[in-house]
Parts: sequence; structure tokens; C-alpha cells
Amino acid sequence: MTDTLARGGTTAAAPPHGPVTPEPVAPASPGPAPRRWGLSRRRSFARSGRAATVVDWTLIALLVGITLLSVVSPLLAPYDPVQPVGMPKLPPLSEGHLLGTDAIGRDTLSRVLAGLQTSWLLSVLVTALGLVIGSVVGVVAGMFGGWVDALLMRTTDVFLSLPSMLVAVAVSAALGPGLTNTVLAVLVVWWPYYARIVRGEVRALVARPHVEAARLAGAGWFRVMWRHVLPGVVPTAVVTASLDIGNVVMTLASLSFLGLGQPAPAPELGADTSRNLVEILDAWWIPLIPGLVVMLLSLLSNLAGDAVRNRLVRR
Amino acid sequence: METAAPPRPETPTAPASEDGPVARLGGLRVSLERNGVRTQVLHGIDLEIGRGEIVGVVGESGSGKSVMSQALLGLLPATSRPVVEGDLQAAGLDLRTASDAELREVRRTHLGVVFQDPMTSLNPTMHVGRQVAEKAGSAEEAVRLMRAVGIPQPERRYRSFPHELSGGLRQRVMIAMAVAGGPKLLVADEPTTALDVTVQAQVLDLLGSMRDELGCSIVLITHDLGVAAQVADRIVVMYRGRVVETGSTRQVLEQPRHPYTRGLLASRLSLDSDRTRPLWTLPVHATVPADEGCPFTARCAFRQDGCSAGVPVLAHVPAEDDGGAAAAVGHEVACFETARVAATAAGREELDPLPPLPEVGTGAPLVAAADVACTFQVRDERGRRADLAALRGVTFDLQPGESVAIVGESGSGKSTLLRVAGGLEKRFTGSLRGPSGTDVQMVFQDAGSSLTPWMTVRELLHERVRDAARPEREERVRAILDRVGLPDAVLDARPGELSGGQRQRVALARATVVPPKILLCDEPTSALDVSVAANVLNLVNELRRDLGIAVMFVTHDLAVARIVGDRIAVMYLGRIVELGRAEDVIADPQHPYTRTLVDAVPQPGRTVVPLAGEPASALDPPSGCAFHPRCPVALAECASTVTGIQLAAVDGRPTSDVARHEVACVRTGAAR
Amino acid sequence: MVRLRFLGFRLLSLAGLLLVLSLVLFLLQEISDADPVAATIGGNASPEAIAAARERLGLDRPPVERYLAYLGGLVTGDMGTSFRTHRDVTTDIATYLPATVELVLFAFVVALVLGVLFAVSSLLRWPLAGPFRGLLFVGSTAPTFLLGLVGLVVFYQLLGWLPASGRGGVTDGPTGMTLLDSLLAGDLAAAGDALQHLALPALALAVGPALAIGRVLRSSLTETLGSDFVRTATSKGLTEPQVLVRHVLRNSVNAALSMSALQLGFMFGGVLLVEGVFTWGGLGSYLAASLPVSDFPAIAGVTFVLGALYVTVNTVADVLQSVADPRIRVS
Repeated sequence: MTDTLARGGTTAAAPPHGPVTPEPVAPASPGPAPRRWGLSRRRSFARSGRAATVVDWTLIALLVGITLLSVVSPLLAPYDPVQPVGMPKLPPLSEGHLLGTDAIGRDTLSRVLAGLQTSWLLSVLVTALGLVIGSVVGVVAGMFGGWVDALLMRTTDVFLSLPSMLVAVAVSAALGPGLTNTVLAVLVVWWPYYARIVRGEVRALVARPHVEAARLAGAGWFRVMWRHVLPGVVPTAVVTASLDIGNVVMTLASLSFLGLGQPAPAPELGADTSRNLVEILDAWWIPLIPGLVVMLLSLLSNLAGDAVRNRLVRR
Repeated sequence: METAAPPRPETPTAPASEDGPVARLGGLRVSLERNGVRTQVLHGIDLEIGRGEIVGVVGESGSGKSVMSQALLGLLPATSRPVVEGDLQAAGLDLRTASDAELREVRRTHLGVVFQDPMTSLNPTMHVGRQVAEKAGSAEEAVRLMRAVGIPQPERRYRSFPHELSGGLRQRVMIAMAVAGGPKLLVADEPTTALDVTVQAQVLDLLGSMRDELGCSIVLITHDLGVAAQVADRIVVMYRGRVVETGSTRQVLEQPRHPYTRGLLASRLSLDSDRTRPLWTLPVHATVPADEGCPFTARCAFRQDGCSAGVPVLAHVPAEDDGGAAAAVGHEVACFETARVAATAAGREELDPLPPLPEVGTGAPLVAAADVACTFQVRDERGRRADLAALRGVTFDLQPGESVAIVGESGSGKSTLLRVAGGLEKRFTGSLRGPSGTDVQMVFQDAGSSLTPWMTVRELLHERVRDAARPEREERVRAILDRVGLPDAVLDARPGELSGGQRQRVALARATVVPPKILLCDEPTSALDVSVAANVLNLVNELRRDLGIAVMFVTHDLAVARIVGDRIAVMYLGRIVELGRAEDVIADPQHPYTRTLVDAVPQPGRTVVPLAGEPASALDPPSGCAFHPRCPVALAECASTVTGIQLAAVDGRPTSDVARHEVACVRTGAAR
Repeated sequence: MVRLRFLGFRLLSLAGLLLVLSLVLFLLQEISDADPVAATIGGNASPEAIAAARERLGLDRPPVERYLAYLGGLVTGDMGTSFRTHRDVTTDIATYLPATVELVLFAFVVALVLGVLFAVSSLLRWPLAGPFRGLLFVGSTAPTFLLGLVGLVVFYQLLGWLPASGRGGVTDGPTGMTLLDSLLAGDLAAAGDALQHLALPALALAVGPALAIGRVLRSSLTETLGSDFVRTATSKGLTEPQVLVRHVLRNSVNAALSMSALQLGFMFGGVLLVEGVFTWGGLGSYLAASLPVSDFPAIAGVTFVLGALYVTVNTVADVLQSVADPRIRVS
């Protein structure tokens, strides 16, 4: 008359597999294939098991690794990134210049390493700040509801309804060149996404009976938020943020491409492409290499973001 | 060996001809893939559906009854990569080898299906009439069918979207669609589970009359033996992917031969279950099913060592123990111990009576609500702002230690009353006195969502005893776990790792680890299997006796209300229409609506006369007595009673204490 | 009636958003350190000339008044004078807008086609579906300008299939859109030329949005295919195309529709990056030239026009959605 404890994978109400006649898993007779109608559901990317775990953790390790690398990357640069150090327009794999040199003979590898630092660290910073601001706004709106929620969310809606890239360009143009201003410009258009997502999660959780049950159990609003709401928001927020770093990398590079980053001759991935556009037919690697690095960063963030999701959702 | 269905001489093995069975499953085995793991769901089902026959397929969750119904329609979801073996024929077509075109043709002309939830089963962006016409062939035919299934103003409803219809009307649309084209076989998968009690009776009635008019066969899948008993000619009881007993409705109900069927029957609540003893319960699912032998062994009262040796196959119930050969025709059971089961009188062992209830005081009530009204701003189905009158003047009290069950259909305001009384809902008018804070605890319908998913049971329970000294906490937590019948091992489990019944026990443990003054229960058993639900009801009854807690228990099921309530309050559209001691309300209902509810409880061997119409909308309650449009004994004045109808004592009954019986009807007594 | 009210509500919020946009741009203009006086009459003017210019530009009036004047200008189509070209910003924008709109619209069509291919190729197992999806995914992680550059190197320099820069076809037609004007003129050769010039920049612009649209479409198709009412439709004996067209598509397009609108809007931002690479004479090039000299009237003008297009596109999508799904009007 008592429920037996069900744990782990044994909960499935699976009928016993008879040891006498093992259940055949494939059709016993060469009858028609199992009928499926219409479109079959996607099964690609449906990685499972150990291989998936290894791939996911490798990607997450790469994400951490690239962050550590970008902290020290200027120290790894073989040359001064702003001084001409060799023949101009050397192609990649030239002696002493792994990625070649630019139109006035500066070492591309050194410039890329320096650009990588600003690009990646700033992206992580923008994402983190956006997440923090957005989460605070989202949690406050979601927990309190009523007019607080209405006010905050209408504000967010307005931000989300305006074209982010254009607003970032305008803000950046108004504030003038410089790293801080670029970060501010992107941040202004970035936090509302997080506010919206976090608020949605919080509202969904607050509407669940478990929050009411927690209140009845005597938990105050802070405890309710801390123990019964926030832990449910964190996975979504972390996954969203890690998938988002790549977007920030691209947006920052785009602003820089438009000349809204640091003034020349500071090494910057986007600007190094746009300043060398004239070389594209002559020495294509000069404008292309910095752009490719942006792409690699963005690709890594996307893949690692998926890996983070796989790991978190698995629980 | 487990699938070795012996050839059964009495059934033709030839493909279905014009007068053969409408559908035939022979040794049907189905396995499905879930989350990459393949499970055998059906283990060799032998079943024939005769022409014009209604077959009720009964089983708890996990019995495979729904998978069987999907197989019967060729609708097994491709995503779970079904593997089907054995014989599977419907309407003369072998569904396993049929081409897509053949399959479509047979679905269009010979098969019909009614699913559980008509809201999700209808296309939300298409007019319901067009959806019927897709199968019926023309708009005129669709309108005719919609009229035939009792949809008022079918021409107008034709252009409605599903979300603009009530649940009952939606299910009628589904039925209209199912019977379009005059099918030979109708499969109804839990067609009434999502519906209110009175509407459920209507839909079952409609299904029965469809059979009578069209001569189609119906397979009625249900978890409720009572529902099957109401309309089925024959009942098939399934357990873990096998048929364990089959026979005519009378045979199965009156001479159940499988211990599981007996268990289902015995744990079924009815209006005459013994209230003074704990409910008889079937042991619930063992977590790890036995690897071999009869799958029911772990829960079986008749089990013997031999039961683990093999899987019993369906065999005829020996004629002699039925007292006559005629009685046993078609009655088959899959059990090694049939003889012993037959020799034991059907029924249940007597359980010790519950301790008597402490005398409920007549002093200061714990909760006193006077003329409480509660209106919410909502948007109606057309998007306009509207007032939803959840409570329209409720006067009610609850004595310390007393238990009151609140019964009503959806939209009656029963849950709102619960929340107002517990101080959880503050938007109301009228006066209310009652406990608040941690003196009020609540258990919810969906125990899973009422427990914080990422916290362990220990953390959840400790949260309630934070005031206690640290060493005392664990002790009290373990004590309450013991009281609700859970092993200490669950302390480190998260809710997702527990079964439905265990979660509801954890919820009860959390609510009572520090005994509250009042325990609010919002349909805590309606999502559970029959046998698990009985366990939870027993637990509620034990806890309130042991701890002296007052209980308010909301349910749509009168039989449940009778078990847990000292008193029963019947609600209709925001008002209490009848209030009295449980035995008085059930045995001698005064309000016509209560009478209907009592009649609508599916009870084997009793014909149900369904009440016409559906509950009116709380957005626009009828004037006067809100029940008058559906009331069989309404007078003209019922609609015009300006002040509304007040609860008044029934003649000749005590008026003052908890024994009083009140009714809100100008025709008091007319219900009888 | 409800539909009309919904429409009215959407139009009202559209107006509100444009108002906010104008306010944001005005405030940015206020905090920017660009000096309109120096820009109009030069840095070395006499104090009297500066004062006169200030008065002429209305800089001596209080901010609220200036904002209202700015707003009035926007409404009447006056967006000030460019510091750089010394022409009316409105005139400049009118000159460059058709090229940008043509590029964005063409790229949008490309993105829709690629997006639908992506979604469908995930559900059906086509040969080459995998490589196609992989390529689109990797491409979407590349910044738009990089895609343009790679396209340039591959299709112009290496293969010589497509032109590297500028616009082709009829360039002085009535609409200002080369492909459309060529077709209107009945000049197929010119149309082909216009198409060749459009291909690379449009593809570069379309890859990112195509993936976004494709993913959303795929997930809503998957969800709808698993829904109860599709099971009902199947159980009625409908054919697969009937189920797909009547039951699946209409219930799946909504999410894809709003994502498409969002992406169309994003493209008005992305176009800034592509035009520079292909020396496409549109608003992007105009803005790119204005940025280094802090020509704020021009920057604000372009931002306002493209921003207005963005919010309008999203509003239209909202209204279309409410037509597709009756439940939206309710909630």
C-alpha cells in the first residue's frame, strides 16, 4: 500500500522484458517499414551519450580558453601591433609573419591578437552587463507585477521596437569615438532582450503553484525569489547569454567597421577590415583575416552556447 | 511464450467480411521509442470488435489502452518509431500492409475518432464547420451533422472558431466530425475526461445514440469503469499492455475474475462507499516491474510462487463456477489462480474503522464568510473586457476541526471560495473572518507543479520548520514522512524523481509538518489513478483526525466529496445552492442541481438521465436563480427573482448547528 | 470590429514609436559634441556671424521648443541641412533611398527562400540538405561585411562570374530601383545586368536572416506537426498536402512571419555594412561618409528613415499575424 521509491531511470512504466522470449526490437517480419506520415521529425544533431558529452565539454572549455587567451593575448604578440615591422603586404605564412603584414608593414598576427582582446573581452563585458541589468529589471518586473511590471515592460518594449543596430550607430556617433562609448551604445540596445526573457521566465514561475505553496510555507518575498524563482531563471539566462556573445562580437565588429570604435591606428578587428578594403583585390588576406577571426569567435560562441544548453537542459 | 496467443476456435480467422467483425487485433504487439529507449507497450492483444458493439477498454495509466486505440486508427506517432507486429485489421483493411491511399480512404469513410481534449484536437485557426465539412464532404452535410449531434444553431456555429465554443460543444463538434461519412468504427479516447460531470453524461448518451442510429461500433477508452459500464456492451480490462479480462459488461462487473478487475471495482468510489472505514486500496504500481511472470504479481492478493513462472494467457472462465454455461460465453480472464479467485467472494477484506471524529464544536467558527462576492476583470472569447463573477454572495462557515467538501463544475467558483476562505485571494467584497499566514496550508491538483522542482524533499520540508531548533528539524521532518507513509530515502529526491502519488504525499507532508488550523485541498486527487487517489483520500482523512485540522476540500466528484466531507456545499455559478451534512445531501438532495449531480455519478447498473444544456457562463450569469435555464422544475418566477435566491433551512431540519441542511431554491422539495 | 480596434491600436503604437525615435535622435543630437554652427559657417567665423547663425538655426531657443521644431520638420519632411554635402538631408535621402530599398527587398526575398529551404530540408531528408544547413549556419556566424568580401574574392576575382561593385541596369528610371526600372523599360539585358549586380550584396545580407527565419519556421513546423489537431486532420483521411496546407502551414507561419519582419528590419541596419564593400550608392554609403565627419543631421535623418521603415514593417507583420490567427485578436 505504499509507493515504492522511484528514482533515476527506473521510473518508466516499462513492462518487463521477458527473459524467455527477448522482445525483438526490429520488425520480426520483413513487413513494411513503420508507417510514418508526412514529414519526419528532425533527428540530425540529436547527439546522445558519451560522445555528445565530450563534444559539449570541449566546446565549453574552448569558450573558457578563449576568454583566458584574450586576457593575455597582447603578451603573446611577436611585434608591436602599431609599428611597421616588415615588408608591406606579405602574405600569410611568410617567414617571421605567420599571418603576413598589412599595407604599411605592420604584423597582422600582432594586430589580430590585440584586436581579439578588445573584441572578445568587450563582448563578454557587454553580455554580462546586459545580463545583470536585464535580470534586475526582469526580476523586479516579474516579481512585483502590477504597475511596476507595466512600466518596466512598456519601456523595454519601446527599446525592443526600435532598430538596435541603427540606434547603436546613432548613439555611438553622438557620443563620439572610443571604446567606452561603443560599449555604452551596444549596452543601451542590448539589455532589453534580457529583461524581456528574464521577466517572462519569472512570470511563468511565479504563476506556478509552487511559489504560492512556498509563500504558504512562510517564506518571505526575498526567500521566495532567491530559493523558488531565481534557480529556475538561471539556466535560461545563462544559455541565452552564452549564445549571445557571438552576436555582440559581430555588432561590435560592425560598429568598428563603420569607424565607430577606437581611432586609428589602434588595432581593432572590424576597423582593420574596413581600413584595408582597398586591398581586397590586391592582397585579399589583409582585410579578410581580421573578419575571419570575428567569425571564428562568433562561431565558437554559438556552438559553445548550444553545448551549455545541452548540459543545463539535461538536468 | 508470453505472446503465444492460442488459436481461438470460436472466432473466424479470415479477413473481416461484410458480416465479420469490424476490427480485429490478433497477437498485436507494439513497441515505441521514447527518449531513445525502445519499450514494448503492447504485448500481444487479441480483440475483436463486433458490428454495432460498444466495447469499453479500461485501464490505469500505463496500461497501453491509448496506444491500442492509436494503432487501431493507424495513427501511431511516427516520431516514436513504432514497430507493429501481429494482426491489425479495421474495416476490412490490414492496417499493417495498407498503402497510404488505402489508409486514407478507410479513415475517411469507415473510421471516426474522438480525442480527450477537444480544445487541442481542433484546428484553432479554422472554422469548426469547415473542419467537420472536411470529412463530411460538404457544408450542408456538416451543418446537418452538427444539428444531429445537438449543437444549437449549427448554421451560426459553423463559422465559430474552437476557442469560441464551450468544452461540451467542442466535443460535440469532434463527434460530428467522427460520425461524418457513417463510419463502421468509432474510437473514443477518454472522450469525457476533460468535461464537467453533467456534460460527461450528455456526451456518453450521445455516443450511445450514435451507435443506435448509425449502427457503428464504438471503442470507448477510459480509465473509469463506471463510464464504461454506462454505455458499453462489453468491457476489456487492460494492464501493462495486456488484456487481463474481457466479458460482457454484466459479467465483468458482477463476476470479476481477475484480481486486478476486482481491485479496480473495489477501489472505485461510489455513493455508497463505507465512510466509517479507510477506503480499500489496490497496492500501487511497484516501481520496478517484475522481470518475468504475470505483470500483476507485485500488486496481487492471490499471488503464489507459480505466478512468476510465466505470463498467463486469456482463457475462458470455466462455465461451472458461473453456475451455467450461458453466463460464461465470451468471458475470458488471464490469471493462473482463476479458480481461487472465483472461490473467494467478490468484495474486500474489512478494514479497521477510522477512529471516530472528535465532536465538532458549535462555538466560534474558524472561518466565517458573509455575503462574499468576487469579480475578476477578464477578456471574453471575442476579446472584449468583461466581468467574471466568480463568487456572487456566499455565506459560509467552518468549525474548527470540521471538514467541508465543496462540489461544483468548472466555473462554479469553488476554487475561488477556497482561496478566499484561506486568505489567499484578497480581491473580494463582503466580510470574512478566518486564519491566515502559516495557519493555512494548501495542497494543489497538480502536486508536481506545487513542489519547487530544483529543491529536494528535505529542503522543501525543512522550509516549514525553520522556526524550530536546528536539531529538532530533521526529527520532525522524518516523523511527518513516516506519518504520510514515505520512506526516508525520498528526502534526497527532487519532485521530478517521484511518482504522482508520492508527490501528493510530499505536498501533504509539507502542509502538515507543522499542523495548520485549516488545510485547503484543491482537487488533489483528480489527476491520479483510482487506486492512488484512494490512498491520498485515506491520508487526508487520517491526518485531519490525528492532528485536528479543519479541511476545505474542493472537488467535482460527489463520491469523493462524500468521503472527505462532514458537510457538503454544492456550488453553481458563484453561489452555494445547497449545504448540509454529507449523508443528507447525497441521500436527500433538495436542489434540482444537486439531484442532477447525484444522478450523473456513473454507477454500474443505473441509467443516467443527463441534464440538458451546459453550465451558463460566469461572464453572463442568468438572472434570478442561475440554474433556471436548465432546471427541470423551474417556474416563471425563478428567472425573475430579483434579489437572488438565498439559502434557507429545509423544513423539519435543525437550523442552528452543523447538522442543518439548507437549500437555495424557491421550490424546496420539488427536486424529489 | 475587434479587428479594426486591433488595427487602430497598432497604428497608434506605431505613431508612438516614431515619436520616441524622434525624441531619442533629438536627445542624441543634444549630447553630441558636433557643432552645427562651426559646421555650417566654418570654425573661424566672427562672434556676430556665429550669433546670427545660432539664431538662424534656432539654437538660442529652449530645448522643448527646439524639439517641437525638429518634430515639425520631420512631419513636413524637413530634416535639416547636411554639414557635409550642404544639401537638404531630405533631398539626399530621397536620392539614395531607392538603391537601399531595392537591395534590402531583394535580399529579403533571398532570405525567405533560403530560410524556407533550411526549414524544409531539416524535416525532409534531401541529399545535400546537411551541407546546405551547415554552410548556412557557419555563414550566419560571419559578419555581413566578411561575407561580402569573401563573395567578392570568390565570384569576382577567382571565378569572374559577378561584378564587383556599383549597380547595373537602368539607373535613371522612375522608381530608382534598377531591376524594377529595367523590367519596366522592357529591357531584359539590363534587368540581367541589374540582377548580377544585386546578387552578391543581397546574398551577403541574406545569410544571417535566412538562418533566423529558417530556424523559427522549422521549430514551429515541428511543433505543429506533433499537435493534436494535426492528428485529428490525419484521422479524417485527408491527404498529406491537404493536411500540410490547411492545417499545418497556417498554424506555423505566425512565428516565422514575425521573425521575418524582425529580420527585414535588421537588414535595414545590415545594409550599412554591405554597401561599403560593394560601393553600392545607397543610404549605407551615405551614412558611412557622414559618420567620420559627425554630420549629425544626416546621421539622424538616415536613422529616422530606416528606423521608421523598421517599425512600419513590424507593425504590418503584426496585423498580418492577426489575420492568420484569430486568437491573437483576443489576447
